Amino acid sequence: MTPDKIPFSQQAISVLWPSFLTAIVATGIFFSAFNPLDLAPFNLDIDISPLAAYSIGFFIFWMLATVSSLGTLYFTVSNCRFLSKQGQ
Amino acid sequence: MATSQENNGEQVLYAAHKKIYPREVSGYFTRLRVLSLVTLLGIYYVTPLLQWEGRQAILFDLPARKFYLFGLTLWPQDFIYLAALLILAGLALFFFTALLGRIWCGYACPQTVWTEAYLWMERKIEGKRTQRMKLDKAPTTAKKIRTKVLKHTVWIAFSLWTGFTFVAYFTPVDELANKLLSLSLGPWETFWILFYSFATYGNAGFMREQVCMYMCPYARFQGAMFDSDTLIVAYQPERGEPRGSRRRGVAPTSVGLGDCIDCSVCVQVCPTGIDIRDGLQYECIACSACIDACDEIMDKMSYPRGLIRYTTENSVLGKAQRVLRPRIMVYAAILLLLCGLLVAHISQRVALDLDVIRDRNTLYRETRDGLIENVYTLKILNMDSQSHRYKLWAEGIDGLKLASDQTEIVVEAGSVYQIVVRLQADELNLEARSVPVSFYLQAEDSNHLSTVEEARFVGPGETR
Ligand code: SF4
Ligand code: SF4
Repeated sequence: MTPDKIPFSQQAISVLWPSFLTAIVATGIFFSAFNPLDLAPFNLDIDISPLAAYSIGFFIFWMLATVSSLGTLYFTVSNCRFLSKQGQ
Repeated sequence: MATSQENNGEQVLYAAHKKIYPREVSGYFTRLRVLSLVTLLGIYYVTPLLQWEGRQAILFDLPARKFYLFGLTLWPQDFIYLAALLILAGLALFFFTALLGRIWCGYACPQTVWTEAYLWMERKIEGKRTQRMKLDKAPTTAKKIRTKVLKHTVWIAFSLWTGFTFVAYFTPVDELANKLLSLSLGPWETFWILFYSFATYGNAGFMREQVCMYMCPYARFQGAMFDSDTLIVAYQPERGEPRGSRRRGVAPTSVGLGDCIDCSVCVQVCPTGIDIRDGLQYECIACSACIDACDEIMDKMSYPRGLIRYTTENSVLGKAQRVLRPRIMVYAAILLLLCGLLVAHISQRVALDLDVIRDRNTLYRETRDGLIENVYTLKILNMDSQSHRYKLWAEGIDGLKLASDQTEIVVEAGSVYQIVVRLQADELNLEARSVPVSFYLQAEDSNHLSTVEEARFVGPGETR
């Protein structure tokens, strides 16, 4: 049984779900330390509500964590394919 | 069968999903469980409605960056409490898992709580297990469509209520309800209500036991916290085997069988669809449904109850059982210690914060009277629920003087006050180029509300 035999839905969950949990923690820590209203990104003068700022922050963290999880999944699957090709 | 399952453990784990139709069950543990589930649901839906001193009792006020917890107002500075609380919750989970097994899974986990609620609605609308199975197999008729539409409407309505309640922890509930009724909800509020509703609908209506099997980190590592004295749900094979059917009232020994009549009721009630008679399995969430189910069968057969029961590995093996073992005592000691620390810390918490920032532009300057002067910006945060007038002074150098253009410091409840102060000292009293000084801030009407903040005073030093 190699990871590439795992159904797609379960692969998707194994990427999206841990990154979702990580994003919650990251959002909590980040916004405890920084007030989004003090953080005008790149000196842009944009007017957004705090809830919007927190939400966008959360999705950025989720996206970053998803990319990281995807990388892990990709390397795991391709390593397994490589090893099974070598007959191990 | 048990062996084939062991060999193909991975295949079984990732097998295509078969829909599970848990059979309804009644009995002592089921009542206990329903009591726990209803209580927890009640707490979830009622909490945002509670009021305290004219505001919502529990509210994460995101725009104001405050967390109201009844009489207590927590600020981002108090993040440490939240972290401590999470660590405590984690430790408590270790403690209760070692002692009582997967009690959390069966009685308190939100996944279980909402799944049971959705299952209950399903039962009310689609009927018992056999009726539900028949309905799903039946060809599409108007009646089937009506039943399914009704079920999903009720589910979605309940999900939306759940999502609304979730957002009400972050936006005052009356404000949110008004916005909803006047159709003026903000885009993100709408989004989060729908997001949470959809997650509830999907998890409790469709994913169910699959969340436990594929998504739950706790389910994967809880085994590591088990020992031979941990409470588990187990079948007694030496009493039950060899299993076999027989007529009611027949004594097992007279037909050469064990107590298990192989009625498979324990399998039908299982929300994760496993057979507890195959031994302790990773999928078992210790919901105790099979205990009640089998006890009922045993009653009908006039056999003693407890063929499936709460027990421990040691008691199954006939060994002595220990509740107070080192692992439990260590967990309990750490838990108590942390709880004590947290309570002590919160009761000692000073609702006042002082931040000192040295003027970055000039290191120091000389006054007309020949004193060395440093300039600081002070940020005073009053975290109390009423306004206060404060005294401010500085120490650390002989004859240190504090001056400011602002003569009185009054800070409103829950706000920040900024003040620029000048410290002046005679160069002769400076022992080094940079000397530590302390700013003292104290509320005039309360001795408890005081704080000290360190800073540095810079002079010309040796270089001169
Ligand atoms: S419910 Fe009890 S008697 Fe029936 S199959 Fe299960 S263990 Fe055997
Ligand atoms: S085996 Fe019994 S206790 Fe375990 S999940 Fe199934 S019904 Fe619940």
